[in-house]
Amino acid sequence: MPTPRTRSALQVIGACSLLGFAVPASAVPSFARQTGMACAACHTVYPELTPFGREFKLNGYVLDNIKQIKGITTENRETLSLNAVPPVSVMLQISYTHTGKALPDSAVSGALAKDGDVLFPQQASIFYAGKIADNLGAFVQLTYDGVGDSFGFDNTDIRYARHFTLGTDNTPSSHSLLMGVTVNNSPTVQDVWNTTSAWGFPYSGSSVAPTPVTSTKLDSGAGGIGQNAAGLGVYAWFDDSLYAEFSLYGAAIRGGAHPLDSTQSSVIHGVAPYWRLAYEYRWDRNSLSAGTFGIVAKEHPGAGAALQGPTDRFTDVAADVQYQFIGENHLFTALSTYIHENQKFDASYNATTQNPSNTLKTFKLTGEYSYRRSIGGSLGFFDTSGSTDSLLYPSVDATGAALQVVGSASHSPDSRGYIGELNYLPFLNIKLQLQYTRYTKFNGLSNNYDGAGRNASDNDTLYMLGWVNF
Amino acid sequence: MKPNRMIALIVSAATYLGAGGAWGAAEPNVVNDSPLGRTVQTCGTCHGVNGRSVSPTFPNLAAQTAPYIEAQLKAFKEQTRADPDAQAYMWGMAAQLSDAQIGELADYFSKQPAPAAGKSGGPAAIARGKQVFEEGVPARQIPPCASCHGAHGEGMATFPRLAGQHAPYLLKQLLVIQNALRNAPVMHGVVKELTRDQIQAVAVYLESI
Repeated sequence: MPTPRTRSALQVIGACSLLGFAVPASAVPSFARQTGMACAACHTVYPELTPFGREFKLNGYVLDNIKQIKGITTENRETLSLNAVPPVSVMLQISYTHTGKALPDSAVSGALAKDGDVLFPQQASIFYAGKIADNLGAFVQLTYDGVGDSFGFDNTDIRYARHFTLGTDNTPSSHSLLMGVTVNNSPTVQDVWNTTSAWGFPYSGSSVAPTPVTSTKLDSGAGGIGQNAAGLGVYAWFDDSLYAEFSLYGAAIRGGAHPLDSTQSSVIHGVAPYWRLAYEYRWDRNSLSAGTFGIVAKEHPGAGAALQGPTDRFTDVAADVQYQFIGENHLFTALSTYIHENQKFDASYNATTQNPSNTLKTFKLTGEYSYRRSIGGSLGFFDTSGSTDSLLYPSVDATGAALQVVGSASHSPDSRGYIGELNYLPFLNIKLQLQYTRYTKFNGLSNNYDGAGRNASDNDTLYMLGWVNF
Repeated sequence: MKPNRMIALIVSAATYLGAGGAWGAAEPNVVNDSPLGRTVQTCGTCHGVNGRSVSPTFPNLAAQTAPYIEAQLKAFKEQTRADPDAQAYMWGMAAQLSDAQIGELADYFSKQPAPAAGKSGGPAAIARGKQVFEEGVPARQIPPCASCHGAHGEGMATFPRLAGQHAPYLLKQLLVIQNALRNAPVMHGVVKELTRDQIQAVAVYLESI
């Protein structure tokens, strides 16, 4: 029988599953305004980055074409270098969601909610994206969320970068070295490849359709750390090919009780080290990168329990590969990510978990095609699998009633399926998207996965999106 | 390592980086922080710091004639060169360049060692391209390219170097000139009558020399 803590955790899981998690969204005309360059310089189809887009981000978003307001001292030391016009932009997402079978009514037992949900907007964002001072730039997103009816902080990455040449200038033996510092609010939001979660496929998804019960910490689903963290990191980019980063993330949950206390959940204890290593090789119109990233996060489960004593430890180790071909007419991208997570429940064992330790794995494989950055499509396979755990993935609530939609009769987190997407961009800053998500397995099973008669395919989601940036 | 120590390590690394001058002073090999060096780095993101680019979307600049580079940068800055990639990339890139910087960049890239010859077509296409380049197409009053661009495609003053240039880039330029998307008065008359096959052949030939 679930304990009060389990119930709280379930409410959180349920809320996250039903409300969806913050969906990544980027590609901002702010940068075009600042650099004077078209979207195509930095993006294949937004938000996916081209090699130049990766360089622009790693260099601190500072490439600049706007008239500057300058300040200097009598010793000619620069004290201010500010864009005369701020690189601000707006994003609007309007969406329609239709699931295979309507979801249960949230208040009337046995009734169904309206199937076919329009969000106007799903998200509306304002960005400041660009230079703050020499070598210092920021990507700051403030978002109104249509489901939560709230306005809040979204993806944020502030970075400082400097470029060095090692050896004599431009001789065969010289090397380029870019070093930078990033302050950001979500592990992987600072990353420049689209194999990591913050800017990974799918680039937008429904915020009302059911999503699987959990995900690895570095994935974008319900179990992910997401934007509940504050990170500080240093990185190096050697010869435009080898990337190394080391960051630390601490708990930074917005809203709720502050200082953080037992009413919060999944609170990082101390700091969680995050690393990233990647190598990119470019030839002709191709680029191929392969890398690894990971985090070790100790967490207080909270959700009713004090933030003291033993912690649960989550160790994510991931590998990723990305291939891009950027032709004049044809653009192709392949993305693949594998995340292996070890979970050790020194705090939650016997309370909210059945096992002292579990594993959870994420695998994603995506292929994307675009014709002249105008008409295109994507096909993605996703698979989350892990240990069964009757307390972590319960089938009934505290009263013994089946947990409809969000429960797992098999106590398993296994979810698998496909995402197919068609995109049409009449202009480089307007994307019209038709997306279909097909689940072959949801929370452990294909049929009657929640023990209340719901099949995985009932969560299949048709999602139409109008995504406008200006 | 204790969390506090890890934070201290990152903060000290960040501080060290922030004091970039100190870093440079301690490490005599760390150079290229001159204004020209920084500008070259920016150009080099696409064109290669040595002027030899990886992707054929971006032209090689190494050993290009200085007057041609200068003329093009001014045309980007003044937005008089308006082919699609010029608008997408170079209008923004060149907008803030001063005449002095343009001169320095032209001088720098013109002095870099020429790109190695590439191979993007078979011997037959190369031979056809060589013929067009050296002899023109007399039947259609198309003069030999070599008469302005040099016998070996090495360029001359504002007539650009073509030897070793990426074939897809040359192909695209000839097409945008033919479609009057890029303003090049001398070239408009020359390329008007060229067939797609001849354009392709001459591009492949030029990349191969």
